[in-house]
Amino acid sequence: MVKASAKSILVIDDASLVRLYYRDALERAGFQVTEAMNGLEALEKLLVEPADLLIVDVNMPKMDGLTFLKILRRQELPLAATPALVTSTESGPQDIDAARKAGANFYLVKPVAQDELAAYAAMFCGEPR
Amino acid sequence: MVFGESKRYYVDRRVTDRIAATGAQSFASYFARLRSDLNGEIEQFINAFTVNETYFYREEHQLRCLSSDLLAQRTARVDRTRTIRIWSIPCSTGEEPYSIAIWLLENWPQVDAYDIEIVGSDIDTQVLEAARSGIYGRRALMRLAPALIQKYFEPLDEDRWRVIEDLRQSVRFSPVNVVEASETRAYGQFDVIFCRNVLIYFDDASRRIAAENLFENLLPGGFICLGHTESMSRISPLFEVCRYADAIVYRRAREDADGKSVG
Amino acid sequence: MPLIRKSPSETAPTRAPEVPTLIAALENGSQQERWAAARGLAKVPGAVAALGKALGREADERVRLAIFTSLATISSAASLDAILPYLRSDDASLRTGALDALRLMPGIVPGRLESLLCDPDPDVRLLACDLARDLSSQEASILLSSLIEVDPSVNVCAAAVDVLAEIGAPDTLPSLVRCAARFADRPFLGFAVKVASERIGSRFPARHG
Repeated sequence: MVKASAKSILVIDDASLVRLYYRDALERAGFQVTEAMNGLEALEKLLVEPADLLIVDVNMPKMDGLTFLKILRRQELPLAATPALVTSTESGPQDIDAARKAGANFYLVKPVAQDELAAYAAMFCGEPR
Repeated sequence: MVFGESKRYYVDRRVTDRIAATGAQSFASYFARLRSDLNGEIEQFINAFTVNETYFYREEHQLRCLSSDLLAQRTARVDRTRTIRIWSIPCSTGEEPYSIAIWLLENWPQVDAYDIEIVGSDIDTQVLEAARSGIYGRRALMRLAPALIQKYFEPLDEDRWRVIEDLRQSVRFSPVNVVEASETRAYGQFDVIFCRNVLIYFDDASRRIAAENLFENLLPGGFICLGHTESMSRISPLFEVCRYADAIVYRRAREDADGKSVG
Repeated sequence: MPLIRKSPSETAPTRAPEVPTLIAALENGSQQERWAAARGLAKVPGAVAALGKALGREADERVRLAIFTSLATISSAASLDAILPYLRSDDASLRTGALDALRLMPGIVPGRLESLLCDPDPDVRLLACDLARDLSSQEASILLSSLIEVDPSVNVCAAAVDVLAEIGAPDTLPSLVRCAARFADRPFLGFAVKVASERIGSRFPARHG
């Protein structure tokens, strides 16, 4: 049972298996996890319920992760300042740079291992509860 | 409503959908939510089984949002000589546009300060005829307080009421195919569009085209409301999402003089 | 009553502009004019070249979206060719726009899918896997099980496995297992194959095991 004070992470990725993999790792680490399948759905969910950390994939239908981040960073505080960890299949410096310019706080190359994800999540959120 | 064994899948499916939609962790917790009517779950539950039924003051929270927030946004920027335009599309048999009219007359403090044009449109000319005649049965009126029924309807017999003449004459009903830009364009631009529970029946391509057409029919800064369970996240990135106390709605970005989005 | 009703003649439709006018506006107009022009060309197959060219130059997101919608609506081999290069774009929003447009062309895309799944660029192959979601279970199973036997990219295989989890047939199970073995050092793929196998098994219980 997750306590109300648990840190919450919004996983934004259109691949259901990726979301499941991240959920599995993050819940075992004690985080509360919600999901969105593209940048638009993520914005809608965040307007209702903020998150302590975002895991944002880049390639998604309707609204890619970088466009989402740019819009997020234009919102009002504190929503605009939500930490965002971008995940991408790309590893080139220009891709990392593009993510940074869009407002990413960190960048991980896919596929991301579960222990790696949980470790970075804890770094950004502090302890899960 | 009574469901026989043959409808078990139908019932299961809808209950499962509501459990998923509410994020309930189990049937037991969903059932508790239903019994306590948390967040109006009873209405949502009923809606899930009667998605084709329409009635007055359906999804009242959006009407509240309209009078509490959306119109305030719209009128902040206009002078009082400009007509406020609201589109109900599809309007079906008219419950929605008449509901908007009644709601505003009853609940919007500034209703007398502005001219309001309400248009109801549908692809089905038969329902438009029914809407123009404004005759409804008991079920359609079930959410209206008796005082409202008395004020805006005249009883025809035990089971039928008719919208009063003044109100019937105040709403324009006309046909449109929302997927045809050449048809939708003719209606001009609106402050608020209600497009509830129709896009779910379209294929992906039609849904996207309809959304793009409706974008064109919005004034910059104008709002579009979808059905409570619908989301633009499955349809189009054209609109900004806005959260208000009573509803989540979508907005066409405001624009500067050159037509570039601002804000 | 403050409610007013306007008669239909007050909102009469205007006549649509001619195609050459629209194409000129697409090139030279203001943002609003380019957007309207892109929308106006949705049913003009002859405008594919102009639309494709405009897409290459257009920086405004709303206009780009309208161009993609029109190309997708035309849904010809030429419009498909106009969209495909953007799967390779460095700009994530162009890749998304292209993929969303391709998803609206289920009549035409399947014929090209096999070659897209063999493209030298792994990014193209990865995005193409998602397009296989719109195929029948049988077609998707054939294409994607072949892919996961040999594709060198773990992310491409992961994308294929995600689709097979949803619509794959039981005869893809051996390929899934071999793929996981090929990428034994990538725990996500093992996880994905396991879940995919379970889901396929639950969809086809009589034939599984």
